[in-house]
Amino acid sequence: MNPLHQARLLHSRRQFLGSASYGLGTAALAGLFGNEAIAQSPKPVGGIPGLPHFAAKAKRVVYLMQGGAPSHIDLFDHKPELYKRRGEELPASVQMGQRLTTMTAGQKNRPLLPGITGWKEYGKSGIKLCDFLPHTGSIADEAVFIKSMYTEAINHAPAATFLLTGAEIPGRPTLGAWLSYGLGSLNENLPTFVVMTSRDKEASCGQLFYDYYWGSGFLESKHQGVKLRSEGDPVLYLSNPAGVSREMRRGLLDDLAKLNQMKLDEAGDPEIATRISQYEMAYRMQMSVPEATDLSKEPKSVLDLYGPDVTRPGSFARNCLLARRFLEKGVRYVQLFHAGWDQHQNLPTQLKVQCQDTDQPSAALVKDLKRLGLLEDTLVIWGGEFSRTVFVQGDAKAKTYGRDHHPRCFSIWMAGGGVKAGSSYGETDDFGYNVAKDGVHVHDLQATILHQLGIDHTKLTFKFQGRHYRLTDVHGRVVKGLLA
Amino acid sequence: MLFQPVYCIHPTASTTLSMNRITLLFLVMLPIAMPGAERVDFNRDVRPILSDACFQCHGPDKAKRKGDLRLDSAEGKKALVPGKPAESELFKRITSTEKDEMMPPASSGRKLTARQRDVLKAWIEQGGEWQAHWAYIVPKRPELPKVGRPDLAKHPIDSFVIDRLLKENLRPSPAAPKHTLIRRLSLDLTGLPPTPEEVEAFLKDTSVDAYEKLVARLLRSQRFGERLAYDWLDVARYADSNGYQQDRTRTSWPWRDWVVRAFNDNKPFDQFTIEQIAGDLLPAATTDQKLATSFHRNHMLNGEGGRVAEESRIDYVVDRVDTTAAVWMGLTLGCARCHDHKFDPFSQKEYYRLFGYFNSIAESGSVDKGGNANPVMRVPTKEQEQTLFNSTRTIAELGPVVTATAPKATPADLQRAALLGLSRRPSVLIAEAILRPSPAFEDASIALAKARKTLDDTNKAIVEVMVMEDQPKPRDTFLLIRGTWDQRGEKLTPGVPELLGKLPKDEPANRLALAKWLMSPENPLTARVIINRYWQMLFGMGLVKTTEDFGVQGEQPIHGELLDWLAVEFRESGWDLKKLLTTIVTSNTYKQASKVTVEAIERDPDNRLLARAARFRVSSHSLRDQALFVSGLLVDKPGGPPVKPYQPPNIWEEMSFNQIRFQQDHGESLYRRSLYTFWRRTVGPPNLFDTATRQVCVVKPSRTNTPLHALTTLNDITYAEAHRVLAERMMKEGGDTPARRIAFAFRLAMSREPSTAESKVLTSAFERIHKQYEKDRPAAEKVVLQGEKVRDAKLDAIELAAYTGVASVIMNLDEALTRE
Repeated sequence: MNPLHQARLLHSRRQFLGSASYGLGTAALAGLFGNEAIAQSPKPVGGIPGLPHFAAKAKRVVYLMQGGAPSHIDLFDHKPELYKRRGEELPASVQMGQRLTTMTAGQKNRPLLPGITGWKEYGKSGIKLCDFLPHTGSIADEAVFIKSMYTEAINHAPAATFLLTGAEIPGRPTLGAWLSYGLGSLNENLPTFVVMTSRDKEASCGQLFYDYYWGSGFLESKHQGVKLRSEGDPVLYLSNPAGVSREMRRGLLDDLAKLNQMKLDEAGDPEIATRISQYEMAYRMQMSVPEATDLSKEPKSVLDLYGPDVTRPGSFARNCLLARRFLEKGVRYVQLFHAGWDQHQNLPTQLKVQCQDTDQPSAALVKDLKRLGLLEDTLVIWGGEFSRTVFVQGDAKAKTYGRDHHPRCFSIWMAGGGVKAGSSYGETDDFGYNVAKDGVHVHDLQATILHQLGIDHTKLTFKFQGRHYRLTDVHGRVVKGLLA
Repeated sequence: MLFQPVYCIHPTASTTLSMNRITLLFLVMLPIAMPGAERVDFNRDVRPILSDACFQCHGPDKAKRKGDLRLDSAEGKKALVPGKPAESELFKRITSTEKDEMMPPASSGRKLTARQRDVLKAWIEQGGEWQAHWAYIVPKRPELPKVGRPDLAKHPIDSFVIDRLLKENLRPSPAAPKHTLIRRLSLDLTGLPPTPEEVEAFLKDTSVDAYEKLVARLLRSQRFGERLAYDWLDVARYADSNGYQQDRTRTSWPWRDWVVRAFNDNKPFDQFTIEQIAGDLLPAATTDQKLATSFHRNHMLNGEGGRVAEESRIDYVVDRVDTTAAVWMGLTLGCARCHDHKFDPFSQKEYYRLFGYFNSIAESGSVDKGGNANPVMRVPTKEQEQTLFNSTRTIAELGPVVTATAPKATPADLQRAALLGLSRRPSVLIAEAILRPSPAFEDASIALAKARKTLDDTNKAIVEVMVMEDQPKPRDTFLLIRGTWDQRGEKLTPGVPELLGKLPKDEPANRLALAKWLMSPENPLTARVIINRYWQMLFGMGLVKTTEDFGVQGEQPIHGELLDWLAVEFRESGWDLKKLLTTIVTSNTYKQASKVTVEAIERDPDNRLLARAARFRVSSHSLRDQALFVSGLLVDKPGGPPVKPYQPPNIWEEMSFNQIRFQQDHGESLYRRSLYTFWRRTVGPPNLFDTATRQVCVVKPSRTNTPLHALTTLNDITYAEAHRVLAERMMKEGGDTPARRIAFAFRLAMSREPSTAESKVLTSAFERIHKQYEKDRPAAEKVVLQGEKVRDAKLDAIELAAYTGVASVIMNLDEALTRE
């Protein structure tokens, strides 16, 4: 071996695989890299020295992002006072002049509207959830329900960007990219950060998912999320061109590796070794991604767990099951986006429909991870970018009414990964308008997620434009009350 | 708002090896930076430590300053006793272990290393003097160093580089082989490789100025402008749609063509700048000069429901300030939007004074002119201009003819007309209606109607481009508290940062004055920042590695004198960009081989000392261009509306929930240079990787190496088709044996002959694949149908498919993807 590389090889297993692959002989390659044992290798590849900072409670994260903003007042945060005051004007003392969107800033009246369904108690903690969330209720003892989340932004895109990157303006690395950068990959055959999107069947919600929601910002672009597509190739350009078989591709890649190795010997650039290994990983992905997305071997009992929608490509249910499969195979971070909660005018009809779309699959994912023994070190997060107003938008007596955007408080839940299962945290005021106790700012949530992965959020930084950037900007604190 | 927005985003070039690289680089620099061994240089050795560890609380930001101590200026002297570290408060604090005493405090997360403390100690021992930050001092032409080996340093650039190499006990690399040089130059200056004929001619040309002639030829090529325009579009956040939720299509492409023309015409860089920032304010501004101002209308436009238009407008002005600062000043001024800058001496007030220049554009903040936003300008093409001229002239000529030849109505005719209910019409129309017109009249009226229709249609087809134009009464400018659009503070007048010189006194405080100030000889930053980016283009990394930050947190250049020499040279040449590029590429530093040796990688892994040429992967837009060019598919047609080449189905549709549908073009449009590919801001062209997102200004390209890139250049239809068409060329033009045909493709892709070993691998690959396809003709038939370019039916499918496989290997070789 060229002595030039040896120093570098010590630092990069990826490069090791690249260079070694050629020496091993081509026949052995396919078998070696198809090996699941490698895929689940517990030793991370890449990442930065010194991480994790301390023992991690979670190795993986799945974020079930509920785009459009699910209403806390209808789903998670039972407020008896509101039922007494139905139709009354929101007191100015509660609103305190806070900003409204241009959609209701001009509305003459802001009558209070309590939750539109009944409530049931679940689990040891007896948390009250709305009638549309029976499945979520069934995992109440696995989850911590945070009722005191709050954020800065009042419109969707800035709020989602804030939640995922710590800043409202697009361009910073997202949570998944930070994890890929800091902790590296847990597998050699699949991307570290996988993204899937879905929307409600009725297409009632116009929320788009921009690619900067899974971008790597100023980190290297290899840390950005790989978005899986529900039609065609799950990963862009994954399939060989028509008429090129896998066997033929193997042969061509062997030729390519031989020629590149000659070049490496001559030019000495370590980047060539990396290129050889990246072509090999591309080949492995051509096998591992379709394998991971093939649900044909999932038993009926598992499919049933996720509900009937699981058979529909691109559904939230199917994405939940796919998420489990990717997590199982060592993907570090899976980001799901579901659009459907932006209920300005269609709360009476759409709230139920959205719960039907998401309730069972979300709970199923938690149960399925538990069944496989993965829940204890997988952090599951469910929630939107903010919530909806306690006052009605439109006319509550008409058939079409809803609630406007509300960033002052919202509810989310987390399960697995060392959270305080079977509890709830924080409180809002009697109107469900402001946080009354134990507020959790978005940066606090981010700090806490990183903490569960063994990362001190103040120390995972990247110097760019002269500044040490981090996910939590210059804020955030770990919320110990959420942790077991 | 809690955050300073980051407008200039780019992925970094650092790798997982960066820690290792830093250590190695430090070893390289050690003889110079070692305290005691040589004098400590404040700018080089001390400021980076203070800036990173102390400025957060002891820097320019008044509001956050602690203990009334600032260390970014000589005011910090009160914390030192010159010559006596032990008595200096600063040194006591950084060596203290007391929780309440130690600096930086534990809560800051910062820690000084022993070496950093030694540097500060040596600095205090040597008197503890402050220096102004290097980048804020106007560059002067440095004297060329007297190099120990004058034979190695005949070119000014080489003097600086060789001088340093010799001091480090290093030697430059030998010159790269000629075939490498021509490919390197062609890729750098035109974004495309040379043809085998061009390589051949250059190899044969033994005249002393063969290389200079080559450089001149490439600089004359239309492709030069296209090559440089690509990077400028990244900087200018150019796109063909607005971004955000609606992401409507805009029509800014005439500005893109302006950029290509400007580079090709070698428009002096000061004019290039002034026209883009203030072309509309030039005396008797031409259409082209007004069009240039579209530069600062290239930002995103938010048409989302629920948006306050004024809030959007403020965002756009902010984008202009931040982009201007990044592109010309290399500064991260965005930090000062919400508070005084933490590291650089710029106050929030200064930020909003700069803001004032861009605050009076006659814009509302809404998307109010189709997909564009006012103000817009109509930009006819040359043909349209001609058509307008012609039809206007025709109308003017034919009007009188029609009147003259019109049959005259008699009183009886008028009576008849009245009975028909036509009495209110003009007499000519009456005549048309009821009289029998003469043939002359008929011809003229038909021609007139036709000319009027042509005029109408052409007028409708003329593209509108967003440009800058100030409203008659300037808007008042206020400091915005914490950067929030409606939280107005002090009222301000436009002005430039105090530290960076003054505006000409008698000029009005408008964009034109700002643009002139940027390009004035007293401005310390512009020339350095611009030449640094062209150095980055040619060497893969700037002389200042932090292209985006020339402030105190940026990198102090290793070759500062070279940077200054080039900056002064560029300015004094009349901002002649082609001359600057010629100067750089004719140096031996540029012409060195890029081969990496064991010693070199150990001493200087990032090649900061320039003991070899850079070797890096070609950008993805160039890779696509190269594939089209090598296969002969490229349609080398300049300018015009953007095109929509191949794209996998459902990319736009999935992104936009079916609101925006992709309709692929056919024919020529599939094979234009990537510069002309339609850029949808919410989802860029999927086969371009490591690219700027065109959402905000990007001054540094990203260069990574991932499996997704391999999948693209192996499997994307663009590439699969190019491989197939290259295979056709191999069979038709490459000679009659596999070895010859392989050599032909090698020459096309890599500008050289394959070695015997390489040829052997590929010929046996050909034979192997051929056998495989012999057993599976239907598979071969599929391969040869890749893409819309009609297949040459005379060629045997099995043979063509086998060559296609070989072509895919050749085009994916590291060397083919790399500029060596």
